Amino acid sequence: MSDLLAGAGSAGGHSLDFSGAQQTTVILLCALTALISHLALAVFNDGVRPFMLDFIQGRSTRSATTAVSFGLSAGFIFGLGAPMALSTGVLNPWLLFLPTDVLGLLSPKRWLAPLLGGAWGAVVVFGLGGANKVAHDLPVDFLTAMQQMSTPILFLFTLFPVLAISRQFGRLRGGIAGVVELALVVLTMKLWPDVFAGAPAMAVGVVMLIGFATAKDVRQRRAERAEAAEREQEEKAQQEADEARAEAGAVAGVGAGAGAGGADAKTAAAAADADAKATATPATATAKAGTAASAAPDSRTVSEAELEDPMRSLFSASATRLRRHLPLFMLLGAGVCLLAQMHVFGGGEATSFLIAKGDHAGAAQVDFYRVFGFIPLIATTALASGAYAIAGFTFVYPIGYLLPNPWLAVLAGAAVFAVEVLALSWIGRMLGRLPSVRDSSEHLRSAISESLWLAILFGSLLAANTMGGGLGILIVGGLYLLNEATGRVVVRMAAAPAAVLVGGVLLNLLYWLDLFTPVKS
Amino acid sequence: MTRILTGGIGKAQVAEELGGLGIDGLEVAVSSDMEAAMRLRAGQADYYLGTCHTGAGASLGVLLGVLGSGVCHTFGRSVPSEAEVTELLESGRKVFGFGVDQITDTTPVIARAIAAHTR
Repeated sequence: MSDLLAGAGSAGGHSLDFSGAQQTTVILLCALTALISHLALAVFNDGVRPFMLDFIQGRSTRSATTAVSFGLSAGFIFGLGAPMALSTGVLNPWLLFLPTDVLGLLSPKRWLAPLLGGAWGAVVVFGLGGANKVAHDLPVDFLTAMQQMSTPILFLFTLFPVLAISRQFGRLRGGIAGVVELALVVLTMKLWPDVFAGAPAMAVGVVMLIGFATAKDVRQRRAERAEAAEREQEEKAQQEADEARAEAGAVAGVGAGAGAGGADAKTAAAAADADAKATATPATATAKAGTAASAAPDSRTVSEAELEDPMRSLFSASATRLRRHLPLFMLLGAGVCLLAQMHVFGGGEATSFLIAKGDHAGAAQVDFYRVFGFIPLIATTALASGAYAIAGFTFVYPIGYLLPNPWLAVLAGAAVFAVEVLALSWIGRMLGRLPSVRDSSEHLRSAISESLWLAILFGSLLAANTMGGGLGILIVGGLYLLNEATGRVVVRMAAAPAAVLVGGVLLNLLYWLDLFTPVKS
Repeated sequence: MTRILTGGIGKAQVAEELGGLGIDGLEVAVSSDMEAAMRLRAGQADYYLGTCHTGAGASLGVLLGVLGSGVCHTFGRSVPSEAEVTELLESGRKVFGFGVDQITDTTPVIARAIAAHTR
């Protein structure tokens, strides 16, 4: 893994040469994912899943759902999936599974879905290799230049737990996590030069975040229990006051009955007084209970019972629907895991670069941490909509990268998906009880995109410098800024790599026009 | 007081953005999708602003399921106009999703429309 630290320049030249087995796997898997999308059992785009509920329940048409799916996916296919695949020579889920989402939903007939999906798979494996080869043979080889992105991506990605901790738990803990991570990176470089320096730091950062979140949830539950106990006590006090009042009333009645007895008049007055007091006490008690009751909904958490009722019925219906199709999901898991095992596929933004360099252990690690940011998102959208994710919780990616042979990958992928689908409603229940952990996952995803945004932008400028020097930086940086200024036509994350591709083509045109001499020939 | 909850991956930034606008009568709280769904259902909050990459998935998933598509709307990654938001508010929408990279542009538009609508 030490070559990873040496910079990426040497790692270029990876080209897309798929073996027959790999081509078949991609085509069959795309056919399967399109069929599953057609059946509305799973889609890859997390954004489309919520719309599947209306479709499944017949409140929305196939064409309307297809339009939503295309609208939400197109930018990611052309802006993220295609440039990433072209620059790394490694397939990715945006390029494979977002189009099959659309094609599957688009198909009016069931048999058409796998045909269209398979056709897309064929276009990718045959077309991409060609495009990749052509691009590498150009005078300005911008694909090799794009390998420059890997170093900033890997090192900045290391910091994502620190960002998440800072956003969720404030500056102090964020600062501590930052210092700990930095110390670990330095230590790792000194002591284990063969290990990717960010690996232990990232692991410790993620553990710290989960620790903080769990501790917060436990504290909160304890506080809630204490509050409930207090309320119980208040109710008890009220009950006692009620009893006292009833007793006093009885005494007062007796006193009044005694009537003229002068000696008793005092007792009666005292009893009346007691009565008044007793009435006053429950009144305050009620008022107090009233404030407690009205304060409770305003406090940050909603009580568990409240949270569970309507959500539980929605969630359990979805979980049952998915469980009914368990064998199909196991087949899907087997396919995705097999694809990951073939080392022609990277599951995350950072992973494609690592797979391209053959660092499968590093890729597995990066995708494994990424999973924590996505479990709650995928679980809740799946349970709310009744449609699962094409790659599940994405655990099959890291498992696939690490497994030594395809048969094991098929078995493991099927097993992992079976466990995931069966555990879905349990996970949903757990997530309902752990608001801070859910919170953490959102901050994690936010931190992942924040760190990757800077890394990809910086890496793209490095690539621009490699392929075209100052002119390259001007074109790529300029296109990025232009995209920002015009309301981000291209997703921000994908804008810079897309700009490198456009810049690369432009520089080649300038070369043919004799207006530009490549930096390195 | 109009109570707005924020959720999704940009929830902290959206809350910051809303706070920085200085609009009177808006009470903003950082929330999560599940909690927000329940609080809107119980009438303990009025609006929800969710963010994610597509502007539609993570931000709206649970809310669509619990509250129904009638009160939810996604702007995706586009920036809406105030008139567009006002129209949606008038048709009863309470839950809005938008792209995380459009927070600084979209949040003020929605906030102003909500403030004008509830005044």
